[in-house]
Amino acid sequence: MADQGGSQHGIARTSRARTEEQRLNDLDRIKKYGELERQVRARAAAQGDYSAEVLQLTGKLLRLNPEYYTIWNARRRSLICGLSSRPSAGSSCSRACSSTTPSGTTTTSSANSSSSCSTATPRSPGRRTAGTSGTTADDDDAASHDLEMLKSELRFTIPLLLDAPKCYWIWSYRLWILRQATERLRPAVARRIWEEELGLASKMLGKDRRNFHAWGYRRHVVAQLESAALAGGSMAAAEFAYTDRMIKMDLSNFSAWHSRSRLIPRLLDERGADDTARRAFLDSELNTIRNAINVGPEDQSLWYYHQFLMLGLVTPEGRAAIAPALALADRVAYVTREIGEIKELLEDYEDEKLIYEGLFDYTLYLCRLENRQPNSDERAGLVEWLGKLRRLDPMRNGRWADLERDCGLKEGREGE
Amino acid sequence: MPQTFQQLPEELQLATSAHVKYIQSLDTRKDEYDYWLTEHLRLNGLYWGLTALHLLGHPEALPRAETIDFVLSCQHDNGGFGAAPGHDAHMLSTVSAVQILAMIDAFDELETRGKGKAQVGQYIANLQNRQTGTFAGDEWGEEDTRFLYGAFNALSLLGLLSLVDVDKAVDHIAACANFDGGYGVSPGAESHSGQIFTCVAALTIAGRQSLIDKERLGRWLSERQIAGGGLNGRPEKKEDVCYSWWVLSSLEMIGKTHWIDKDQLIAFILRCQDPEKGGISDRPGDMVDVWHTLFGITGLSLLQYPGLRAVDEVYCLPKSTTARVLGR
Repeated sequence: MADQGGSQHGIARTSRARTEEQRLNDLDRIKKYGELERQVRARAAAQGDYSAEVLQLTGKLLRLNPEYYTIWNARRRSLICGLSSRPSAGSSCSRACSSTTPSGTTTTSSANSSSSCSTATPRSPGRRTAGTSGTTADDDDAASHDLEMLKSELRFTIPLLLDAPKCYWIWSYRLWILRQATERLRPAVARRIWEEELGLASKMLGKDRRNFHAWGYRRHVVAQLESAALAGGSMAAAEFAYTDRMIKMDLSNFSAWHSRSRLIPRLLDERGADDTARRAFLDSELNTIRNAINVGPEDQSLWYYHQFLMLGLVTPEGRAAIAPALALADRVAYVTREIGEIKELLEDYEDEKLIYEGLFDYTLYLCRLENRQPNSDERAGLVEWLGKLRRLDPMRNGRWADLERDCGLKEGREGE
Repeated sequence: MPQTFQQLPEELQLATSAHVKYIQSLDTRKDEYDYWLTEHLRLNGLYWGLTALHLLGHPEALPRAETIDFVLSCQHDNGGFGAAPGHDAHMLSTVSAVQILAMIDAFDELETRGKGKAQVGQYIANLQNRQTGTFAGDEWGEEDTRFLYGAFNALSLLGLLSLVDVDKAVDHIAACANFDGGYGVSPGAESHSGQIFTCVAALTIAGRQSLIDKERLGRWLSERQIAGGGLNGRPEKKEDVCYSWWVLSSLEMIGKTHWIDKDQLIAFILRCQDPEKGGISDRPGDMVDVWHTLFGITGLSLLQYPGLRAVDEVYCLPKSTTARVLGR
């Protein structure tokens, strides 16, 4: 039920009454569409055979309707029967040609499991090492035939993706084709194909910086490139640099900040960063986000990232901690300093609710770190900031009321 | 809100009869090109429309016998359902089929004329990735927390949740959690309101809400309400009526619905309706569709808009349905 394909987004409401001409035009399109559908079903869906004609027919229908998942599946079945190299797990011809066989061992899509959980019949060693000694001319022909077929499929989906960048079915078809490359081609060849996908992800994110399909695709491609199946190594540093570029282009890109938050722990581990390096890294991140907040204190994206850094300070045992070895006194000093910096923002922005929320939260963080109740100054601050939050953000009054109750600030308010 | 909507000013009135007519008209549009372009969503569309009708208090507005016939005509031998006859089986359409049959109390027809509950349960269970616990949408392997939720939803309605490894699935959801309290499509993915709904609802069905950081998640969800009263799906994005369901149902499940301004959200949803021809759109003035119509109405139901039947925030079905099927 959680599928939004086919729904109308952002299309202006117009009169639904069609002219007679439009109605006839619709009928004509329906007729042509229906004929094409019948042809595809007769040729492709029923038999699962591979031919240029099937690719042409399914291609034509998918260009008219890229949401038509059954036709994507028909195209898959057809391709499987056309690929020359030995079929591997989850994509054998016998399975492909029988559409009703459910599969309990669907090919998994995570990098870690793609090689380990395969239930494939092992490929002949000769095929794995095609192109080196011991291969036959037939093997080479089969591999180059498959390479061309898979590349052609990748080209086919590009205009469709550009036209419908949020269509789940196109993205998943493309990933399936790439999986075929991993399973059927030599690792070096498959790797080159996957490498080009980073360019596609960047291109799609260049067009829509928040497209979560494209971000997910990018993460998946990176995971594959890092996997043993493609003889890869960590790309955390390169991906971290990518978030840098995206953030510099647009500070308000929370997708990029999020990605950064996930990459940092790995990045530091892989660098073998010692406590000093970790501390320097934390300082640098705090400087970056503070400067950003200085420019856009109304931007939630920035505050969420700031919270991420602060959470790492108050919960050093958590996976997000950048400098887990910091002594308690140092962590207290960090939080105190951030509170001071945020207070300075009030000189330029007195009506920005996120500033007050930050002050409120971080003051409580400080108390939590020191395992104590707020002192009287802090308490007065909390009461004042909560008052600002109520005034500036009445939409969330229910939340402010809960906060007041949970922090025991009711008396303070009466004393205002 | 007043108890009856006759007391409300005109701009705050739900155009109930127009919405009923709009939904009834959806299957009579066979001379429109879009009708054929959306055939891959027919069963889902039937679920969206029928649920909206039940909540509007017009459960009989679509004929029951034909509904059952159509649903069963979409079933494959393996138990799964396609979106329409001749369409491949998929998790999403299978879940819709189960939800529809639950709503119109027709599981017995599934036994006598369909492939039976057990076969449906087996189809869904076979889509679980036994290594990671998550679920694929079909045999081609796309994985997403949407499918995990769908599996939990349908299997629990069928009384067959024991066919799958619930603990593994719960572990997978826990791995999808982010520092902001939200959940993404898969481990590492950005928090997204739609995905939060699927993860929170799945954890609720599994009885594992204790894994949710309710304070942090509630904050994030409440910040989805923006000027104008509508809700967005992620930080710094535009509002959209469908988030009146994904965000609000999640807030309801964690007991924080009062953290947003209900009256402003009601007004926003009502501004998105087409009062004459019926239907609700993503934003005021846009084209309506049955998907936004349902999620506008479920949102209003959660906000206790007068006259609407109560919606179950976990299953997106009338509460009367889940009470009957789940015996609660």
